[in-house]
Amino acid sequence: MNEETLTLYYYDELDGAKRRAVEQALAGDPALARRYRVLSRRLDALAKVESHSAPSHVVARWHDVIDRAAAREAAAARQPRQSFHPGSFFWGSAVAASLAVGIAIGVYMTGGSIDPADTPPVANLQEPVPERGNAFSRGLLVHFQESRNQLNGLSPEANGERSELIMSIIQQNRLFARMAKQNDAQDLARVLRALEPVLVNLAAEDVTADEAARLQSQLAFELNIVLTKLSRQVSDDTDAIDI
Amino acid sequence: MDRGGTPSKAEFHEAIARRADRWYSVCLRITRNPDMAEDAVQDALLAAWNKRAQFESTARLDTWIHRIAVNSALQLLRKARPDRFEALESEVVDESRVPDSIISDGEMEQNLSEALAKLTDIERVCFVLKHLEQWRLREISDELDTNVGNVKQALFRGVKKLRISMADLRS
Repeated sequence: MNEETLTLYYYDELDGAKRRAVEQALAGDPALARRYRVLSRRLDALAKVESHSAPSHVVARWHDVIDRAAAREAAAARQPRQSFHPGSFFWGSAVAASLAVGIAIGVYMTGGSIDPADTPPVANLQEPVPERGNAFSRGLLVHFQESRNQLNGLSPEANGERSELIMSIIQQNRLFARMAKQNDAQDLARVLRALEPVLVNLAAEDVTADEAARLQSQLAFELNIVLTKLSRQVSDDTDAIDI
Repeated sequence: MDRGGTPSKAEFHEAIARRADRWYSVCLRITRNPDMAEDAVQDALLAAWNKRAQFESTARLDTWIHRIAVNSALQLLRKARPDRFEALESEVVDESRVPDSIISDGEMEQNLSEALAKLTDIERVCFVLKHLEQWRLREISDELDTNVGNVKQALFRGVKKLRISMADLRS
């Protein structure tokens, strides 16, 4: 009897007849029974994998995700549901969020300065990509410009495609968060992560007009805070970003 | 924990407090990437919250989220490395190098994580899901969109490689 069969017996993955055949063989063959005991001990030992603790700030973020989701639901429940055509609003808010995030990172990476009060995030991206700054930040701006154009070209009725694109934006934000993390900008990374649940809700197909408006407002508020603090930090010419 | 219907926010917080490390660990074992593991758990929590009305009160909330987290980790891994994940490499495993003696528990625990890194994605995922998560082979093959035979082969190879790797680490 080969080891594969004994392994499947150990995992309780043999059908009735094969299982009974193995049991009979084990009962009648002491050498086979010894082999199986050794195999069982080895397999048992393979279950002793060390566990890893999730970083405390990550666990805090998970708690926060639930709090935010619950708060959004509670607010939505207090407001009457209305018929709402998602269309361009979704595009505007979701894209604006990512574009602003892209600019935030661009500011950080380039060491430039943007005053959010004077320079609306989305409007700024209509300008040519600045020549100064590093290749990474310029590449980000180009990427966001192209993303915006692609999103604007989509039909408002293409719900599935819209959701897919917002999820793609979320993936991009995660990449940026990782880049920020790798550049020792942990707080910036956390802020980028915190935007994700809002984007996820914007991607939902059953969101109401009021809920969507509130999400948009919340997103704009949080992004303004990020941009304001980032621009202050950069103008102070410090390396650390304390958000 | 109250089992009387849709789980509350407090129950989600309680589940996170009690089981976050376990969810993170399994996602890390599957992806071998801390960022992806964090994302997988976060995705799972959001998905569980949004679908909590579907939660069956006879089940355990933390177990339900655990399963969703595993699925999230698999999805992220497939998205990140589709070619490697689908490929079922058929490497020859030299069984003569498998040690006869049993490695001590302490050594085993210390070395197993390192040994897992030497498996291919498909071998590691099949091992984690079968050996550590106790999924049925059929469930694994359905989840990985392959057949049971492929899962068995990946599992057998993975188990053998793990024993060999740990013998190497020990020596």
